Amino acid sequence: MTMRPAGPPPTRPVPGVDADTKPFWDFCKQHELRVQKCTACGQLHYPPSAFCPHCSNMTSEWVKISGKGKVYSFVIVRRKYPGFDQVPYVVSIIETTEGMRMLSNIVGCTPEDVKIDMPVEVTWDDITPEFSLPKFKPVS
Amino acid sequence: MELRELRDKTAIVGVGYSERQGKVADSTPMRLALEAAKSAIEDAGLKTQDIDGLLIQPVMGGHSYDIAARMGIDLRYTANVDVMGASSGCITSHAAMAAAFGQANYVLCIYTTMEASGRAVFMAGGPARSSGAFGLFGAAMEYGLAARRAMHEWGTGPETWAEIATNQRKWANLNPRATMYDKPMTKEDYLAEPWIAEPFRRADCCLVSDGARAFIVTTADRAKALKQPPVYISGLGQYHHTDDIVQSKFATGPTGAKQSGESALKMAGITLKDISACEIYDCFTYTVELTLQSYGFFKRGEGKDFFKNGRTAPGGEFPVNTSGGLLSEVYYMGFTPLTEAVVQLRGQGGPRQIKDPHYILSSGNGGILQTHSTVILRR
Repeated sequence: MTMRPAGPPPTRPVPGVDADTKPFWDFCKQHELRVQKCTACGQLHYPPSAFCPHCSNMTSEWVKISGKGKVYSFVIVRRKYPGFDQVPYVVSIIETTEGMRMLSNIVGCTPEDVKIDMPVEVTWDDITPEFSLPKFKPVS
Repeated sequence: MELRELRDKTAIVGVGYSERQGKVADSTPMRLALEAAKSAIEDAGLKTQDIDGLLIQPVMGGHSYDIAARMGIDLRYTANVDVMGASSGCITSHAAMAAAFGQANYVLCIYTTMEASGRAVFMAGGPARSSGAFGLFGAAMEYGLAARRAMHEWGTGPETWAEIATNQRKWANLNPRATMYDKPMTKEDYLAEPWIAEPFRRADCCLVSDGARAFIVTTADRAKALKQPPVYISGLGQYHHTDDIVQSKFATGPTGAKQSGESALKMAGITLKDISACEIYDCFTYTVELTLQSYGFFKRGEGKDFFKNGRTAPGGEFPVNTSGGLLSEVYYMGFTPLTEAVVQLRGQGGPRQIKDPHYILSSGNGGILQTHSTVILRR
């Protein structure tokens, strides 16, 4: 355990990559939203994990999902954080049509226009040459 | 064996405070821990050498045995126990079992922190997370996601939370130890507070504190010979839903408080009607509402009326968070509500003493509604 000061890090955070999450972010870089499909029970699971939460199997393949969903919940952030100086911004939990829950941002509308259950679709934000984030915008 | 055999077999016999609490930048986590330890030992009428069990919640890192080394004692029983805000109840459970089965005679339990001085190590380790990449920083935003969903599902919101925040502030105004002791707050003051993460205003969020708190657990038989009136451990419960906020299916309840509470009530052999007061883990105003609702004190959405007319405030019929809680006294996670329950059951609350409590329920809640513990104490 390492000591670190309380609060967010001093620079814009990028996704946490380890052996489990790397495939997800590699596909994102290609603007492809993929989640794991268990090779035993066939069910989808997310976030990335070595273990199927439905059947305890430990092998999976990465399959494309629709990129469509709806807003499960959201908060409006009005203070600035490193890398997040455009305020207010919206942090949201999206429920995809396949039933996956993903953390993301709602873009393409004002925070006041965001509503729970609002239909949204994925849009890509290339934040660095290495990382593209799946964000969501209202379905036009 | 069954858990209910442990009912009233152990007791909390000492409560300890660091010399200062709030912002104590010139101290160290170790010094604060030792101050609280010494205070708890003196409160119980014990000697340092009597302590042979030590449990800590290591939010500052470190190991329990390092504290014992500074105290000049060896240990027969020890562990670091950390499930964030539920640790207080889980530690009480470990301590009660250790004492009941003779693994230790007197188990000292300590929480120490210098979070207010920017020296916390929360959230180190764990699986790779990407939440920072989307601008999600800290518990206020994560609990805010739960609270916003509850606004949609059952119509809670700032009207309810203002009642919770102002009721608790009134308790803090009676507690000289409380960070907000001399800072009254009206509903208008609440509404004028700045946003932390909408829908949460600053007054919806717990304090950030330095300091330490400790308590001592022993058997009921030993407790009777000590300085303070024994406060018996009647009920213990835990339930941990474990999923993070993004995957959570319990963000709008019922949380683990439901199963945890049922377990504790069963062990104590009582029902909710027997509870005189609650000391609820209140990292946010919404957490108080959701936890009481999950325990079954009122039905989904009825919090809108439950907190009105000062019901949970001083003089109200159902006291909640009588020290001011994490919102208005001090943030030592579950150690704040648990130790306050002991003070009230001993009748030592001074100006904030509630009338004739018999059973008090204390909750712990950790992660983002992911871990939960319940302790029911009686005098």
